[in-house]
Amino acid sequence: MKLFYGLLVGIAMGALIQRVGASNPRMILASLRLRDLTIIKFMATTIAVASVLVYLLQLGMPMHFDVKPTYVIGVALGGLIFGAGFAIGGYCPGTCVVGIAEGRRDGWVALLGGVVGALVFTLVYRLIEAPLIKPLTLGKITWADVLHAPALGVALVMATLLLAAVRFLPTRREEAAP
Amino acid sequence: MTAPSVTLPVAERRSALALPPWAVLGVLFGVLSAASIALFGPIGVSGTYPRLIGAVARRVTPEFAATNPYLVKMGSLVTPETMLVLGLLIGGFLASRVWRGGSGGARPLEAVHARETTPARRYVDAFVGGFLILFGARLAGGCTSGHIISGMTQLAVSSTIFAAAVFAGGMGVAHLMKAWRATS
Repeated sequence: MKLFYGLLVGIAMGALIQRVGASNPRMILASLRLRDLTIIKFMATTIAVASVLVYLLQLGMPMHFDVKPTYVIGVALGGLIFGAGFAIGGYCPGTCVVGIAEGRRDGWVALLGGVVGALVFTLVYRLIEAPLIKPLTLGKITWADVLHAPALGVALVMATLLLAAVRFLPTRREEAAP
Repeated sequence: MTAPSVTLPVAERRSALALPPWAVLGVLFGVLSAASIALFGPIGVSGTYPRLIGAVARRVTPEFAATNPYLVKMGSLVTPETMLVLGLLIGGFLASRVWRGGSGGARPLEAVHARETTPARRYVDAFVGGFLILFGARLAGGCTSGHIISGMTQLAVSSTIFAAAVFAGGMGVAHLMKAWRATS
């Protein structure tokens, strides 16, 4: 049953990514160049809505939370590497799959690059585990743990901040004169 | 390469609520992401790549698959996440065919950076980008969906660090590379 739910969520997610334009590498670069914040605002809205919703739902039903562990060096370095690849290719691991579905040929190449990248990571995992993943490990912590505050309250504050930024930052900026 | 003309699929149209389409889509994705955590677990994509490698390795080189600590850790390909990635293909395909009106479907190949003056150069950037996003995501333990969307939703400290690093690295590198529409 969970496999079926996964498929349904994936179908809806693929349609949303395609509709908002996140599978278009030019839209990703427009966001990273701060020329068109559509994708960033879409993501911020998603996080704000989902966060409040999951902690409201938690009051009435069991939830399948899965918080990722905090190992500062690996997470920060991985994020920087990811960001560089995001800017060079204009794809993330999911949007290249959606790009393939809508007929983008470079989506296949990004997917292939991704498989090779994951393979290389698999091969060097033993070497980088000790210096990058083991040190500065803080466990599966959330901001609610850090602040000793109820999760729903923290989610409401984060959602308010995100939605305020979404509301007041301009979506598009005309190309700056050189 | 194609002529420089901007196709912004959703930015121009407005919905009945006077909310821009990306905001409506964002709310829908928020509900979907929360429903996913209620039904089976947070959405995520990048873990499927090493699980796929693991599934192939178990067929081709069983000994390597059984002794590589990362492939053992990532486990079987039979997970909701794998089905989610298959769903991305179906949903992306359907959405691009059903709502084709107005801005039109995706172009097969578009330049993203000024240096991508030939298809081969675009393919190089797509490959290098794909390589780096998967290496980075596996090092950090998640990608845009697993870390930024699901992780921030669950108020995870690690995902906040990841998101900040992605945008710092991404904006920095994007700033260094000339945009495709820039002449010369």
